[in-house]
Amino acid sequence: MFGALWGSLGEVLQLQYLFPLAVGTLAGLVGGALPGVTITMTIIIVLPFTFGMDPLAGLAAMVGVYVGGESGGLVTASLLGIPGTPSAVATTFDGFPMARRGEPGRAVWLGTWASFIGGVLGAVFLVAATVPLARFALQFGPWEYFSLFVFALSMVAGLTEQSLLKGFLSGAIGLVITVIGTDPIMAVPRFTFGTEFLQSGFQFLPVLIGIFAFAQIMSDLEKMSAGERAARVETPSLAVSHPAVIWEIVSRPFLLVWSTLIGLLIGVLPAIGGSAANVMAYDQAKKFSRHPERFGTGIPEGIIASEASNNANVAGSLVTIMAFGIPGDAVTAVMLGAMIIHGIQPGPLFMTQQPRVAYGIFAAYLLAHPVMMVLQWLLSRVYLRIVRVPKSILVPNILVLCVIGAYALNNVMENVYALLLFGVLGYLLVKFGFPLAPLILGVILGDQIEVNLVRSLMTDADPWLFLTRPISGSMLALSALSVVLALWQHRRQYRRGAPVEAPDADF
Amino acid sequence: MIGRDGVAGLACLAAALTLLAASRGLPQPALVPIGPAFYPRILFGALAALSLGLVVADLLRRERPAPPPAHYRLVVLTFAIFAAYVALLPVLGFRLATFLFVAGLQAVLEPPRGRRWWLVLGVALAATAIAYLVFERYLSVLLPRGRLTGF
Repeated sequence: MFGALWGSLGEVLQLQYLFPLAVGTLAGLVGGALPGVTITMTIIIVLPFTFGMDPLAGLAAMVGVYVGGESGGLVTASLLGIPGTPSAVATTFDGFPMARRGEPGRAVWLGTWASFIGGVLGAVFLVAATVPLARFALQFGPWEYFSLFVFALSMVAGLTEQSLLKGFLSGAIGLVITVIGTDPIMAVPRFTFGTEFLQSGFQFLPVLIGIFAFAQIMSDLEKMSAGERAARVETPSLAVSHPAVIWEIVSRPFLLVWSTLIGLLIGVLPAIGGSAANVMAYDQAKKFSRHPERFGTGIPEGIIASEASNNANVAGSLVTIMAFGIPGDAVTAVMLGAMIIHGIQPGPLFMTQQPRVAYGIFAAYLLAHPVMMVLQWLLSRVYLRIVRVPKSILVPNILVLCVIGAYALNNVMENVYALLLFGVLGYLLVKFGFPLAPLILGVILGDQIEVNLVRSLMTDADPWLFLTRPISGSMLALSALSVVLALWQHRRQYRRGAPVEAPDADF
Repeated sequence: MIGRDGVAGLACLAAALTLLAASRGLPQPALVPIGPAFYPRILFGALAALSLGLVVADLLRRERPAPPPAHYRLVVLTFAIFAAYVALLPVLGFRLATFLFVAGLQAVLEPPRGRRWWLVLGVALAATAIAYLVFERYLSVLLPRGRLTGF
């Protein structure tokens, strides 16, 4: 296993892969640092560039964006007090006070080194866990797959902070989108209402790009209409003693390992990502601390917990997509789309059928970390200036790249129309307080849920098999448990008199 | 009084019922027990039930938080300009439509005065040229051609 990884490291170190990886990492750092541009948005922007590339080069660029994005967010979080991405929210709690106290270099580099170490620890898990998990998934029949997908969907719907009903409704809307078009069994056109546009159904990338890009951009434009101005950016010196910073991190091994584990676990769970991991790791660090009252005043523990967890989260998400074919979050959902474009089907067979690409992804993930460190060291003050680019210039250019991404999938305008349609739908859903993660997961898993349901019932008409087969039954039990837990949690919050409304779309 | 959730629930309910009605026209195969309408019907049933739940929950809700003040001017304008861009793409072709779109949307988002117009036009020209060169020439990704312009 590690021998194959060694070979892939050598391959990805070649310029044809290292260059896209480095450009992707830089794009991730910049996108992550830009408030209002999330990692999902950055990967959507990078997506069309990967169409013309070798699959591994394209995926290396995307892995770079992912790793760079998780680390770019910490610069704005520490220096401006605004999280560049939702996965750096908890970094602001201690990073910003530390920077304001006159230690901006310490804040940024504590975060960067914690990202690096958390990420590399995550890589060990990624390499060690993917193959056994994929082997376990090989035992799955259609019943198990159906139950796994139902579990993934119910958990994501249940985890939404808004109303539970809306979480499930959002997931159901995602599933409904996938039944439009030709049916997978008899190839009969369904629910096309006689239009040619709906005949071939909706591909999930235009849907995903439309929903995420517009929901984010339009929410920002609302703020612009309201007269909110961009933050003033100063570029202070970030000079710091690196051995001292590294010692600050490694002298807290429990915090580091625990935060990394939380990041990994959240990453493995489908469709929740770094935005949940960093806050949860911060919360845990505070609970385990001997001096919880000092959290929020600019102590290193807060920064280490948040940043180690969000980079480890990337490794967790990659495990889920490579072993089960289920995206761990929106970023891996775009990667899944990119893989499918190149004719690669992620899932349990991926590791054995595409070992070159699979180990190439591991290698790209590992190498993205040193590349990120170098870029951060060379360019963090330079790219911080890009934060000053006004929204009026950013928005049109992002939208043009979204159009290219959707059009270039099959060179048809239908995908661009779908982009607009789902852009409007996504924005409306956000305005009506619906979470978007379950919808996206519904769109991605919809076809597979139907195919596996029908396949299992055609193999054996007995529906009890879903419950009596041990793995399938356990998954369904877990999904029931996740719903009950979510209900209990919402009820508790309701009793406390705090109705939870997420003010903004959080991806 | 029905609230925001109620409206959303009713819209989803209407969609579920329309689709459920449309599923009646789907053929039922003679040889296999499960036809193309089997799974969608389960799904629409679930969608209808959840929507109904949302409507009922909304009606039972005693207090509703006041909606935050809305600033939709730029949102509506951006959607309109983007829709025009999408409509014009196959007519004018990628290069012309993109130039107009990038310039137009910049001008709307931050109305330029005097010399800033040159910046707006410069950005639009650069964005179009870079996108064209990188995608068509370097990455061999085809971009839409214009029916009217052939360009």
